[in-house]
Amino acid sequence: ATAANMAALSGGGGAPWRRGWLPALQFVRRGSKAVTRHWKAMHFQRQKLMAVTEYLAPRPAIPPRCLTPRKGRVEEEDNGYARLLRRQVEEVFRDNRMIAVCQYNSMPGEDVVLMRHYLRKHNIEVKFVLNEIVRPVLSQSKYKNLLPLFVARNILLVSPELKAKEMLRVLKGVPQINLLGACIDNTILSRQGVENLAKLPSLEVSQGQTVGALALLPSQTSSLLQRGSAYLTALLDEHIRQLQARETGSPAEPAPAQSSG
Amino acid sequence: GGVTVPRAGLKKYVLPPDYSGITFPERTKLKFMEKVPAVPKVKRETRQLRDIRGPSHEATEFTQGQYGILALGGGYLHWGHFEMIRLTIGRSMDPKTMFAIWRVPAPYKPVTRKSLGHRMGGGKGPIDHYVTAVKSGRLVVEVGGRCEFGEVKPFLTQVAKKLPFPAIPVSRDGLQQMRQEEEEKKLNNQNPWTFERVVTANMLGMRKYLSPYDLRLKGRYWGKFYLKHRV
Repeated sequence: ATAANMAALSGGGGAPWRRGWLPALQFVRRGSKAVTRHWKAMHFQRQKLMAVTEYLAPRPAIPPRCLTPRKGRVEEEDNGYARLLRRQVEEVFRDNRMIAVCQYNSMPGEDVVLMRHYLRKHNIEVKFVLNEIVRPVLSQSKYKNLLPLFVARNILLVSPELKAKEMLRVLKGVPQINLLGACIDNTILSRQGVENLAKLPSLEVSQGQTVGALALLPSQTSSLLQRGSAYLTALLDEHIRQLQARETGSPAEPAPAQSSG
Repeated sequence: GGVTVPRAGLKKYVLPPDYSGITFPERTKLKFMEKVPAVPKVKRETRQLRDIRGPSHEATEFTQGQYGILALGGGYLHWGHFEMIRLTIGRSMDPKTMFAIWRVPAPYKPVTRKSLGHRMGGGKGPIDHYVTAVKSGRLVVEVGGRCEFGEVKPFLTQVAKKLPFPAIPVSRDGLQQMRQEEEEKKLNNQNPWTFERVVTANMLGMRKYLSPYDLRLKGRYWGKFYLKHRV
C-alpha cells in the first residue's frame, strides 16, 4: 500500500495532491470497532468479494421435476410377525387336502360365527389371510396359478377331508361369501369344477358302482354259457304250446303227459 | 388381476424408543446462577469483544443430554437471561422424566457503565453487572431424559427466541445433519471462487480491505454475526 501511495505522490494526479491531501493510509482505523451490535457496513470491495464468492448450488442435467419419482421400495424389515404369518400360511398349504379361496364381503359378526360353527362341524376351518403375506409365499411355491385369486379381501376354507357338498351347501346359505376357486388334492379347480366335484356321488357309492360294473361281466358269463340250451328249451316250449293250441281245437287229448316229458 | 379395493394391510408395530444409555444427574432442574461471582472482580476489564467474534471452540458437542439450544451468533448473556431460561425450562419440563444442564458458566465478565447524563471523560465507569460471552456454534443448555424432540422443542424455541443472539433448538441427529450439510455444500459448490481461496492467495490485493482475522473466519462471520448461507 505504501509503495502505491509513493508512486501516486511522485506521479502527480490532480487538485487534492496539490492541496497537500494524503489518502487515508489505513482503512481500518476509521469508524466503529470490528464487533458491533449493529450490522457494520462493509467496504464496497468486501461487498463485491462476498457477492462473487457466494454459494452456487449444483444443477443436475435433468431437473428433478422432470424425473418421475421412483416409488420408494417397500421396507424389507421382515418383522417377526410377518414371518410367523408366512410360516402359518405355508403350514396350511402343506397340511390340508382341500383349500378353497372365497371372496369375503363384510358380514355381520354373528353370521360369521354361525358360518364358522357350521363349517367346523364338517371339520372345515376358516382362515383370514392378508394378501401381502400370501402373495410372496405363493409366488415361491408351486401354487403360482392361485396368485390371481388373492386380490381384495378373501378367506381360506381349509380341511383335511373333502366335503365339497357340505361346504357348498353352507356357502349357499351365506350370500356374502363367494367361492372363487379351490385347490383340492393339488389340483386347481374353478367354481364350476368344485360344483361338479360336489355333484359326484360319495366315495362308497362310487366304489359300489365300480364293483357292480366290474362284477357285471362275470355275472353274464353263466347266462352266456347257458344261452344255447336255454334257446333250445324255449323253442321246444313254444313248439309244445303250438301243438297244445292245435289239440285244444280238437277236444280231450292227454297232452300234459307229453309236455312234462 | 381384478379391481383392487384398498384396505388396511398388516400393522407394523413401532418399537418404543430405547432410553437405556441415559444417566440422570442428581438435580434434574437447572441450577440457580449467581448475578455476581463469589469473588467479585476488583480490577475493571477491557471490553475484549473478541470473545464474541468467530466460531466457538468449547461446548460445541453434546455431553449428557440429547437436545439443546445452539447459538447461531455471538452475544452476552446476563443474569436476566439466565433467570428467564431457568424459569421457562423449569416450568415446562417434567423433572421426573427429563433433566437439563447448563453449558455456559455463570456471569464472570464485568461490564462497566458510566452513570447517565455525564459527559465523556473522567475515567472508566464502575462495574455495573456481569455477563457471559457466547460465541456462535456453542450450546447454551442441554436437555435430556426419557423424552422426544417433539416434546422438548416448543419450550426450547420459546427460550431461543428470547436470547440476545439467534438460536435454535437442536437434537444430536439434527446437529450432525447440519454439519453434514455444511460439508456437502462445501464439496458441491459450483463457484470456483471461494472467500478462503481469495484470502489465502490475496487475490487482487483483497487483504487490504479485509481483516487478518478473515483468514480464520473465511467470510462466514462478520462481527458477532454468523452468516449461515455462506459456504
